Amino acid sequence: MNEWNTATELPWLWAGMASYALATFIVIRGVVLTRGGAAGAAVNRGYETPAFIFILAGVALLAMALAERWIRIGHGPFVNLFELLMSQLFSLGVIYSFAYWRYPAIRASAVVALPLMWILGVWVLMLEPSATAFPPTYYNNWLWAHVGLGKFFLGFCLVGTGLAGALLLRGVPRLEPWFRQLPSDAMVDHLAWRFMLLAFIFHSAMLIAGAVWAQDAWGRYWSWDALETSSFLTWLALGGAIHARLTYRLPMRAGAIFIIVVFIIAFLTYFGTPFYSSAAHKGVI
Amino acid sequence: MNAVLSPFASLRLTLVGMVLLAIGAAMSYGNPETTSVWVLVVPMAFLAINLLAAIITNPRINRRGGLLTFHIALLGVVILAAIGRLTHLEAHVELVQDTAFSADELFDDSRGPWHASDLDKLVFVQGPYTVDYAPGMVRGLTHSEVRVPDGQGGWERRVVGDDRPLVLEGYRFYTSFNKGFAPLLTWMPEQGEPQTGVVHMPAYPLFEFKQDNTWKPPGGPEIKFWLRLETGMTEKAAWILDGQKAKGTLVVNSGAERVELQPGETVNLPGGQLRYERLSTWMGYKIFYDPTLQWLFVTAVFGVLGMSVHFWRKFGARMPAAAAADTLKAGNYSATSKGRAI
Ligand code: HEM
Repeated sequence: MNEWNTATELPWLWAGMASYALATFIVIRGVVLTRGGAAGAAVNRGYETPAFIFILAGVALLAMALAERWIRIGHGPFVNLFELLMSQLFSLGVIYSFAYWRYPAIRASAVVALPLMWILGVWVLMLEPSATAFPPTYYNNWLWAHVGLGKFFLGFCLVGTGLAGALLLRGVPRLEPWFRQLPSDAMVDHLAWRFMLLAFIFHSAMLIAGAVWAQDAWGRYWSWDALETSSFLTWLALGGAIHARLTYRLPMRAGAIFIIVVFIIAFLTYFGTPFYSSAAHKGVI
Repeated sequence: MNAVLSPFASLRLTLVGMVLLAIGAAMSYGNPETTSVWVLVVPMAFLAINLLAAIITNPRINRRGGLLTFHIALLGVVILAAIGRLTHLEAHVELVQDTAFSADELFDDSRGPWHASDLDKLVFVQGPYTVDYAPGMVRGLTHSEVRVPDGQGGWERRVVGDDRPLVLEGYRFYTSFNKGFAPLLTWMPEQGEPQTGVVHMPAYPLFEFKQDNTWKPPGGPEIKFWLRLETGMTEKAAWILDGQKAKGTLVVNSGAERVELQPGETVNLPGGQLRYERLSTWMGYKIFYDPTLQWLFVTAVFGVLGMSVHFWRKFGARMPAAAAADTLKAGNYSATSKGRAI
């Protein structure tokens, strides 16, 4: 079924992505302009507010896209990959913009975090916006808790990964000036892990809500399906990374690599599982 | 005692245990027949011993209330899940409309060695059901009616389905995609008492093309039945599968004879008479029993709350002074700006 023509949410989606694209461009241009001078010299911060405005505009436009689609197809963005990506782009934008506003010191790390969102952005633009029937097992309030908690998890993970990426890039002499606005390495490391611990709490809560939902929907709270296995491995990887850091007093850069690995596993859980499992969750059938 | 326990409490062992558990989890993906449950049990037991030793000996964990709560909850979840596996029951049953549940009809059942079955105590009677279908034959909500004793000698009507299992004595009955039709027949032999029963047809609409079954009456040759249904089923539009509204013509083949019966009609066959009373239905349920469910939930929630308290205590306080100064230097804004709490 060709739904390109009927999908009235697409203009909003494209506008939202254009807004994110502008924000990304402004951030990259902004940090690249911070050149020369000794560490601690005045840094370019002029880009921060315009970038913030474009992220917010992107969030608002994506909210419109989601609302438009919801009205058009009669159910929320929970079922197929197109919807999952679109709704993640929205929620990652909300959480990232909150962190960006609340913690000005981390803003330069947007140069890593925003391009990461673009993986989803490019992907969603390539998918057909087709509608999939809403499975009977999705009429359950735990779905909201499960999905909502997962969004917080991935959002905080994105902030942590942005900081971890900045910490690593900063080690490259040519790129070091880009990150003059960021606090010291020790502080970036501390902040990154703070967000990862927050992500861990939300991930744990997401697993609980998912198990309650699975018990109601499929009559078992855990059965090692593709998403359950993958999300358990994500949780264990994050718990393991937190432990490894405390046990071995990992060097900051090694810790940053751990964070990125956790992000990759989480990313594969969310967006890779559809490729090796016919249905994200069994209830789709 | 600490000296004895300390080696077991090593945080390096925790990492080893976690890697083993990750391997076990990956091997358990899709519950393959070839993977033993020990790939999970061994790493979990290893981690449990390690954690218990750490809780007893390591002040970094046992002096911090929130962190301690989280780790004790982890232990609790592992222990409860183990008890759950030992006492659980999973089974299937197919119930014909207007008949009572019977524990003798369970199939595909698996139960833990400690499962003390209370199934014989369960009383409920299956009623009719409806299932919504969206265009393209996509199954929607199931509403299955059951009658349970109301405790005062009468019956209480309940509607279950999808996210609403029927819960009796801790046994949870979930409706499934497996449901269908069952013509109600009376066999009146030339000698002896008439008997009434159903012929259970394959699942509908999954085996819509194959609604047939056979039955061999006592003393007579085998009868082949084929059920021709009118349910309003359509690929193109939404429709509702409703056994009450469905019509079924029963095609009866016995030897060379072939007759089509409508409800209420009778046919003479070798050995007796067969009456097609009416069209009935059956619903397939999955049964799940695990006495630890609520405890697991409460324990896991406590764990998350504990970790939240730990997080709050660890980071809720102001940021380290050195780092704050560092931020100010880099950020060029005052401590009263919005960015105060890094
Ligand atoms: C099973 C054996 C385990 C033992 C012996 C253990 C022990 C500990 C100890 C001693 C700490 C405090 C470390 C410190 O602050 O220096 C800790 C922290 C922590 N553990 Fe565990 N743990 C175990 C399992 C787990 C598991 C399976 C997870 C989750 C996957 C987990 C997640 C955490 C987290 C998130 C922290 C908080 C670290 C922080 O405050 O930054 N632990 N654990």
